[in-house]
Amino acid sequence: MMQIRQRPDPTLALVPSRPPTAAGPAEVLTTIQVSNLSIVFDTPQGQVIAVDRVTFSVNQGEFVCIVGPSGCGKSTVLNTIAGLEVPYSGEVTVDGRPMQRPRPDVGMVFQQPHLFPWKSVRSNIAHGPRMLGKSRGEARAIADGLIEMIGLGRFADAYPHTLSGGMQQRVAIARALANQPRVLLMDEPFGALDAQTRSVMQDNLLELRERIDATVVFVTHDIDEAILLADRVLIMSAGPGRILRDLGVDLPRPRSNAIMLDPAYIALKKDCLDLIRSEGRRAFEQSTAG
Amino acid sequence: MRRLNILIGALSIPLFLAAWEVVARSGIVNMVLFPPPSIVAVAVLEWIRSGQFFSDFGASLYRVVTGFTLGAIAGVALGVLTGQFPLVSSLLSPIFHVLRPIPPIAFVPIVILWFGLSEAGKLFLVFWGVFFTVWLSAHIGVQKVDRGLIRAALMLGTPRRQMLQEIVLLGALPYIVVGLRTAVSISFYTLVAAELAGAFSGIVYRIEIAQQNLQTGQVMGGLAALGLMSFVADRMFATVAERAVWWR
Ligand SMILES: Nc1ncnc2c1ncn2[C@@H]1O[C@H](COP(=O)(O)OP(=O)(O)O)[C@@H](O)[C@H]1O
Ligand SMILES: [Mg+2]
Repeated sequence: MMQIRQRPDPTLALVPSRPPTAAGPAEVLTTIQVSNLSIVFDTPQGQVIAVDRVTFSVNQGEFVCIVGPSGCGKSTVLNTIAGLEVPYSGEVTVDGRPMQRPRPDVGMVFQQPHLFPWKSVRSNIAHGPRMLGKSRGEARAIADGLIEMIGLGRFADAYPHTLSGGMQQRVAIARALANQPRVLLMDEPFGALDAQTRSVMQDNLLELRERIDATVVFVTHDIDEAILLADRVLIMSAGPGRILRDLGVDLPRPRSNAIMLDPAYIALKKDCLDLIRSEGRRAFEQSTAG
Repeated sequence: MRRLNILIGALSIPLFLAAWEVVARSGIVNMVLFPPPSIVAVAVLEWIRSGQFFSDFGASLYRVVTGFTLGAIAGVALGVLTGQFPLVSSLLSPIFHVLRPIPPIAFVPIVILWFGLSEAGKLFLVFWGVFFTVWLSAHIGVQKVDRGLIRAALMLGTPRRQMLQEIVLLGALPYIVVGLRTAVSISFYTLVAAELAGAFSGIVYRIEIAQQNLQTGQVMGGLAALGLMSFVADRMFATVAERAVWWR
C-alpha cells in the first residue's frame, strides 16, 4: 500500500526544536536516533499534536528516562520507537534502520503487564523465542533462565491472574528480555504499582540492568524514579510534547533506593523540579492568556 | 435449615408426580387427554421395547449433532474472519445482520421447497439457527480481544498466522463458548421445527404421530425424552465449556 508522508503543518513551527544531541566520542555508537519527530492524531475534535519535533539520540547501552506530565506525549514517542506508531513527520531509527513496524530486536514493557492469560508464566516468557523460530526445548530453557533471574521459580507453571501486580510486571519484563532485544522500551512499567512494590521493583531493575546490555528507554512521570534509574533524563514539556532539557545523571553505580539521600541526588532533583515548575507556570500563563 | 432445603428439593419431583397421578385418576380431568405418570411410563417402556425409541433418538441426535457441528465450525470461522478483517466484515456483516433476526423456524416452508422432506433440509435448519448465534459471538469476541495483548504479541515478533491462532482465537474463546452454549438450545428449537415439518423418524416426529392417534401417554413420554436429551446436552456442554477456558 502506498503511504503519503504529509508535511507538518507550518503553524506547528511556533516553538523551535532543540538541535540534535551532540555526537559523543567516536567509539560511542548511537542506537536510537529520533529526528524531528512529530506525531499528529486525527480526532473527532480535529487534529491533535501529540509530539512536536522531538529530537534526541540514545547511545548503545545507555539507560535514558523520559519524564513529563501525563498527556505530554511520552507514550507516543515510545510507541514510535517501538514501531507501533508511524511518524507524521521526522524519523526514528534503531541501529540505523528506520522503524516502520515492530521488530523483535526492540522489546517493550507496558504500564499494564498484558500477559497472555491463557499461558503459564513459563509459556508467556517462551512466547517470543518460539515466534522467532526457536524449538520448544530452546524456548523453554530461555524462559527457565529468566524465571530464575526474576526470582519466580515457584510460579513457573502458574497462570498470570494468580500473581500479584508486581510479579506480573516482572514476568512482563522477562518476556520482553527473552528475545534478547538490543533496545528495551518501558512505558511507566511501575506506574500501576503501590509505592512499596514500586521501590522493590526499581531496585530489581537496577540489579537486572547490571546483567543485561540492552539500551533502555524508560518513561515515567516520577522524577525520583527517573534520576534513580537513568544515565540521562530527558524532561518533556506539557503538550504538545517537546524536549525541554537533556540532563546527565552522574551518580555512581550500582545504585539502589538509598541513593535518594545523597546530596548530589538532591541537587539534581532540585534542578529538575525548578525546571518543571517554571515550565508549568509558563504553560499555565499561556493557557490563561489565550 | 440447609438439610430441610435438601430434603424438600429431593421430594419436589416425586411430590409433583404423585399429585399428578392422584389428580389424573380422580376423575376431575379427562384421563385420555391428561394421563397419569404411570400410563406415560408404560407408553415409554413400550416405545423402548419396540425398538423405535432408539431409531427415533438416533435420528434426532444425528440431526442436532451434525447441524450444530457444521453451524459452529462455520460460525467460528466466519466470526474470526469478520471480527479480524474489516474488509471481510464490510462485505459479510450487513448480510448476516439482515438474515440473523429472522427466526430460523420461519425458514421451514422455503426449506421444504428447496430440500423436500430430505435429511439435508433438517440439517440445514439446525445449521442455520446455530450459525448466526455462533458467528455473532465469535465476531464480538474477536473485536473485544484486549488491544494490549495484540500489541504485546506484535512486540514479540508474532507472525500473522500465530496472532490469529494463539492470541485472537484464544482471546475470543470465552465469548465463543457462551455463544456455543446458547446455540445448543437453539439447535433443539430448530430440530423441533424441522421434524414437525415432516420426517420419517425422530423424537418429535414420534410425538406428532402419537398426537394424531390420541396416544397422549406417548406424547408426554416423547416430551420427557426431548427434555432429558436437551438437559443432558446442556450439562455436557457446560462441563466442556468450563474446561475450554482452562486458564480461569
Ligand atoms: N490514539 C490516539 N488518538 C488520539 N489522540 C491520542 C492518541 N494517543 C494519544 N493521544 C493524545 O496524544 C497526547 C499524548 O498522549 P500520550 O503519548 O499517551 O501521553 P503520555 O504518555 O505522556 O501521558 C494526549 O493528548 C493524548 O490525548
Ligand atoms: Mg503514557
